[in-house]
Amino acid sequence: MKKVATPEYDIKDKLKYHVSALSTAAKEVVMPLNITTHYPRERRKWPDCFRGYILFDPERCISCFECSFVCPANAIWMKEAPSGRYYPTLDYGKCIFCHFCVDSCPGGALRSTKIHDVAYKNMDEMFTHTEEMIEPPEIIREDEGYVEYEIDKEDLTLKRTKGKDKLIVDVAPSQGVPMVSLCIDRGSCIACKVCEKVCESGAVSSLLDEAKMIIKMKIDSEKCTGCGLCVKECSMQILRLVRRE
Amino acid sequence: MRMATETGVAIGESEWEVKVPAKKLKNKLHFENLKAVVMDTGLCSRCLTCVSICPSGLIVTAEDNVDFPDYEERCLDCGACVRVCPRYDYKPLSGLGDYIEFIAGQSKRFKGQDGAMATELIVSAIDMGMIDRGLFVDRDERWMTGIFHVQDAEQLGVLTLGGTKYTFANVLPELKKAVMFTKRGVGVVGTPCMVSGIRKLQQEFPVFRERVKLVVGLFCTENFHYEEVSRYLQEKGVDFSKLVKTDITKGKFIATMTDEEVKFKVKELEEILPGGCNVCTDFTAVESDASVGSVGSAKGFSTVVVRAENAKKVINYIREKRTAEFGEAKPEELDFLIGHKKKREENIKRD
Ligand SMILES: Cc1cc2nc3c(=O)[nH]c(=O)nc-3n(C[C@H](O)[C@H](O)[C@H](O)COP(=O)(O)OP(=O)(O)OC[C@H]3O[C@@H](n4cnc5c(N)ncnc54)[C@H](O)[C@@H]3O)c2cc1C
Ligand code: SF4
Ligand code: SF4
Ligand code: SF4
Repeated sequence: MKKVATPEYDIKDKLKYHVSALSTAAKEVVMPLNITTHYPRERRKWPDCFRGYILFDPERCISCFECSFVCPANAIWMKEAPSGRYYPTLDYGKCIFCHFCVDSCPGGALRSTKIHDVAYKNMDEMFTHTEEMIEPPEIIREDEGYVEYEIDKEDLTLKRTKGKDKLIVDVAPSQGVPMVSLCIDRGSCIACKVCEKVCESGAVSSLLDEAKMIIKMKIDSEKCTGCGLCVKECSMQILRLVRRE
Repeated sequence: MRMATETGVAIGESEWEVKVPAKKLKNKLHFENLKAVVMDTGLCSRCLTCVSICPSGLIVTAEDNVDFPDYEERCLDCGACVRVCPRYDYKPLSGLGDYIEFIAGQSKRFKGQDGAMATELIVSAIDMGMIDRGLFVDRDERWMTGIFHVQDAEQLGVLTLGGTKYTFANVLPELKKAVMFTKRGVGVVGTPCMVSGIRKLQQEFPVFRERVKLVVGLFCTENFHYEEVSRYLQEKGVDFSKLVKTDITKGKFIATMTDEEVKFKVKELEEILPGGCNVCTDFTAVESDASVGSVGSAKGFSTVVVRAENAKKVINYIREKRTAEFGEAKPEELDFLIGHKKKREENIKRD
């Protein structure tokens, strides 16, 4: 059987350990090694793929409704702007920060920031109007520093480093997959022209030839932004988005 | 030119032509044409083919009649409705029609109106993998009809799907939806007018040709508007909360309740016979893949008229799996009702 016995120290060892303990205590007094983050005076360093407060760029929006369709929490409501165009509004009372909207936006109009801690006074305030999504919210911070943790492989202690970080790191707008709308069953088209009516970029057109009593339908692939609105609205469900390449 | 590999359609070539159906009344919206030719003349069978295809989704059944209340503003004038309405260029069908087999059948696993062969055909087609869903007419406790999409046999256990409801049902609008999301194909049961509507949809549009894989027609003398027939039955003392089965046999309407039976001559219902049925001559659903009815076979059996190859395959499958018993059916027993409906040709006003 194996016996467990106290290790034998000589006086030299004992002295070494005592000095080490005292110096650690002294270090803690001068520069305490706390591992908790002193929020809100400091914060963690967020990764670049962080899913935070969402910003919106109306210039890039093609009003395709994709974000509101894809949102699993029903947090996005498209509202009519004075220009007659429809833009998203976002209810942070519902948003689960999945960022499906950001990923699905074909124009890259939605993008993420690293802001995650917006304060609201009540539920109504959490409903964010389009105008409030263009610029980041007002930031009041005691410190813009971040802390980062790393485990030291040698002595297995947690190393804490501090630094400065830009709070709103603009994530590059999503490129999306370049798509184009295509009719896959021309024989089943009834020429109701709903596709033409919903297309924001004027890519779908119809022309009545009265002499021959036919309607010429056309999707201009140059103008098509691949938003997929016609695909959703087609009453016969014969349009599809296909990859351009 | 780049090719979209999924479809084989070349990008940049997205141009196609759609024929505009001719109008009988020039300078009027297509819906006005339909209204003038079919609805206002009492030809409308309430098959709801127009409702199923209209892209505006605004053709509705108001007070049991089919209508588009604000068509002046909302009709897109595409003409889809006149392309598919089986009564727009009405060519009345009649007789027994062509068939491969004329048999009696009784399902061993389902209980139905007669031998539950309508249900058996659809469910077997699902089992075979011919279709992935079938549409059935369900009802609520007030006997109002609703449509149920069945995807496997187990779903049928809990529902009151088998059995005839003598009121119109929204089968075709649901069929359109089913066609839009089916993967393998859809099977459907309907009255002869619905079958004609489905054939029109298939004639006009490839999506319906490709995806409606089995059309079971029912024998039909007439159907009724819900409001009218329920009022009539209540006057006769039928309590809907106790009603379990309605049937028309040997000229009698029989309402079976949990504790009693109400019987009266069907002739009495003539006063509430809908105009569309009054001009309908098709008793056996001659355009179906298989027709199912009550007359022509013994009690507890359904008469099955197998007309098309797809239906024949399903019948062979049923024989192989032994999910139904088969017997002899007598085509001559249908003669009276076929003749009775043929006479309705006289009611069609021709101008
Ligand atoms: C309005 C109507 C009138 C009929 N008239 C006659 C007749 O005069 N003579 C005759 O021999 N047979 C008639 N039938 C057919 C008969 O009542 C049975 O439906 C048929 O024999 C099939 O019986 P089953 O046991 O095989 O069907 P089941 O397996 O019980 O299935 C019945 C099927 O009927 C469908 N169904 C029920 N109500 C409706 C409805 N309102 N509209 C469309 N589909 C419906 C259900 O979806 C189900 O698929 C009529 C049916 C209907 C719906
Ligand atoms: S929109 Fe088209 S289908 Fe609907 S009523 Fe008008 S013409 Fe008929
Ligand atoms: S017969 Fe059918 S398609 Fe024609 S108008 Fe009536 S419901 Fe519509
Ligand atoms: S009698 Fe004709 S029009 Fe009336 S429900 Fe039957 S098939 Fe349809």
